[in-house]
Amino acid sequence: MKIVVAYKWAPNPQDASVGVDGAVDWSRAKPGISEYDPVAIELARRLAEATGGEVIALTAGPKSVDASMARKAALSRGFDRAVIVADDALEGAGTTELAAVLAAAVRHIGDVDVVITGDSSVDVGAKMVPTVLAGQLGWPAVAEVTAVSGSDPAAGLLRVERAITGGTQVLEITGPAVLAASTDAAVPRVPGMRDILAAGKKPVETLEVPALDVPASGTTVTVTATARPDLKARKGQLIDTADPAAAAAELVAALRADGAI
Amino acid sequence: MDFELSEEQLLIQEMVREFAAAEVAPIAAEIDRNHRFPEELIPKLAEVGLMGVPYPEEFGGAGADYLSFTIVVEELARVCASTSVIVAAHAGLAAWPIFEYGTPAQKEKYLRALATGEKLGAFALTEPGAGTDAASGKTTAVLDGDEYVLNGSKIFITNGGYADIYVVTAMTDPDRGTRGISAFIVEKDTPGFTVGEREHKMGIKASSTTPLYFSDCRIPKDALLGKEGRGFVIAMETFDGGRVGVGAQAVGIAQGALDASIAYAKERVQFGKPISTFEAIQWMIADMATEIDAARLLVYRAAWMKDNGLKYGQEASMAKLFAAETATRVAGKAIQIHGGYGFTESYPVERAYRDAKITEIYEGTSEVQRMTIAGNALRKHKATK
Ligand SMILES: Cc1cc2nc3c(=O)[nH]c(=O)nc-3n(C[C@H](O)[C@H](O)[C@H](O)COP(=O)(O)OP(=O)(O)OC[C@H]3O[C@@H](n4cnc5c(N)ncnc54)[C@H](O)[C@@H]3O)c2cc1C
Repeated sequence: MKIVVAYKWAPNPQDASVGVDGAVDWSRAKPGISEYDPVAIELARRLAEATGGEVIALTAGPKSVDASMARKAALSRGFDRAVIVADDALEGAGTTELAAVLAAAVRHIGDVDVVITGDSSVDVGAKMVPTVLAGQLGWPAVAEVTAVSGSDPAAGLLRVERAITGGTQVLEITGPAVLAASTDAAVPRVPGMRDILAAGKKPVETLEVPALDVPASGTTVTVTATARPDLKARKGQLIDTADPAAAAAELVAALRADGAI
Repeated sequence: MDFELSEEQLLIQEMVREFAAAEVAPIAAEIDRNHRFPEELIPKLAEVGLMGVPYPEEFGGAGADYLSFTIVVEELARVCASTSVIVAAHAGLAAWPIFEYGTPAQKEKYLRALATGEKLGAFALTEPGAGTDAASGKTTAVLDGDEYVLNGSKIFITNGGYADIYVVTAMTDPDRGTRGISAFIVEKDTPGFTVGEREHKMGIKASSTTPLYFSDCRIPKDALLGKEGRGFVIAMETFDGGRVGVGAQAVGIAQGALDASIAYAKERVQFGKPISTFEAIQWMIADMATEIDAARLLVYRAAWMKDNGLKYGQEASMAKLFAAETATRVAGKAIQIHGGYGFTESYPVERAYRDAKITEIYEGTSEVQRMTIAGNALRKHKATK
């Protein structure tokens, strides 16, 4: 089974600072593997361990995604090899454009059975890449995936579990698919010492966009402005909790009175 | 000159932080309070390769350098000093002499088991009457046919009772002084070998510290490590590396105390302002940060010298001395910044204060480090005159 994990090498918002005017300063934000992507990697490794498959790292972005440290950080997480689309033309690329490039890279890798992504990226958080990527590939997309196993890998059949409100849905999928892991699908493994020391020796294929067959889209999306939400006035009502039962009753009554419940 | 860690070392640092946050931090206060040896951590540490960091892959180790091992010990100590000493005594003290002096068969049997973390190691030199004066040990090993017979006792042995493999020094020729000391590998459960009660300590409470007793304990002749009479040299060389490990522990304890102090100083409001805005607090933070940085540089340099095959005994002593005293000073200031709350078990700095002290004592007290450093400095001066 050929498993691709599409991950993002993204700046961590924890190290970004917000100015008084609301402008975000990303200059101190250290790049790393996007927060939820290790969960996708963990699901992929479990699937590979169960089916004897290969796990391929895939990312696209400006040249910095192919920096030696960026490669090693990804490969130390248990990948067999990596395909990296590093092209400064992708600096600031939108979701659609990135997903189209990733789709072309998946076609370039060839015979891929499943692409697994994280739930959303740590810097943008739009949750769109998996869906657009699946659309580009003409494959089904499944979000909120909590587990994936190969019920009959020879027939290209995946057994996928996804979280739905109040329960779990189990899907059987024939043929390739794009799965987005739910944020808590699995606790990612910490990379082992040997994985880290071997990371620099694993095969990496680096490509630029022109080497891939990316269909022209003709549409461009430009962010023209971003603004902070207006602050809503709070009631600041405090309930005396000396008697918890009475406090609970008072809280319920207050919420009812406001029409909140 | 290059002060940058390699990419691998940076990734190792990040990995240990991730591991420590997930596996060690949640239990650190509890294992300290209950004096509980965290047995459940050993397989977890082993799984990510942290029990055999500086040993070659062919013996089940991670194949990293000693500086990486130093970083591992530091990052563990930042969160839990007890955990760091368990790992440091195992990989730094017990496994090292087997790696350096073991026969191929000893390495295959013992180093592999230690480096993979399948078995835990301990190193036993100190005796009730022989601490700083380590050469005055009374434990004897007498060759009897194909076996050595051990008699005597050891004290303050880290990992005692939990370790499977003990490197033990004993007198094979009492007339030859330090040249009469030899080192042996003793397996737990060997008849005649027993482990005493755990000490009740002021710090590193989750680590086990016990006496060992040998009473007509027979071990095979091939349990001898290196040659007869080499035991003291083996112990001293092992301690050179071990001191870098203790230095790393001290840096980790100090850094953990500083991290907690900065977070607290930003949160604690007095006179309507966070206490971090008061100059008195800022100066303490400045001194703590500066001393920690200096200590870390000394420790990393000693590790780097070891990795590069340079003589590093003097630098290891300086690193251990300065880092240990830094840890004690920094942990004291950390309590001061926390005020009364720092004096309670509600904040980790109380534990750091108790844990820091041991780094000034084991693997050579600060007094011994000063004796060594002064001795070398005076000799060097004579040589350059
Ligand atoms: C928690 C813990 C864990 C330990 N783990 C191990 C272990 O795993 N393996 C092991 O072998 N040992 C271990 N030790 C022993 C440790 O290394 C010794 O305690 C240490 O070397 C000091 O020896 P001592 O306690 O006998 O003190 P002493 O040697 O009695 O020293 C008492 C004081 O006298 C000073 N002093 C002694 N001689 C001189 C001198 N010539 N000049 C000036 N001052 C001097 C010392 O610096 C100290 O201040 C451990 C100890 C502890 C407490």
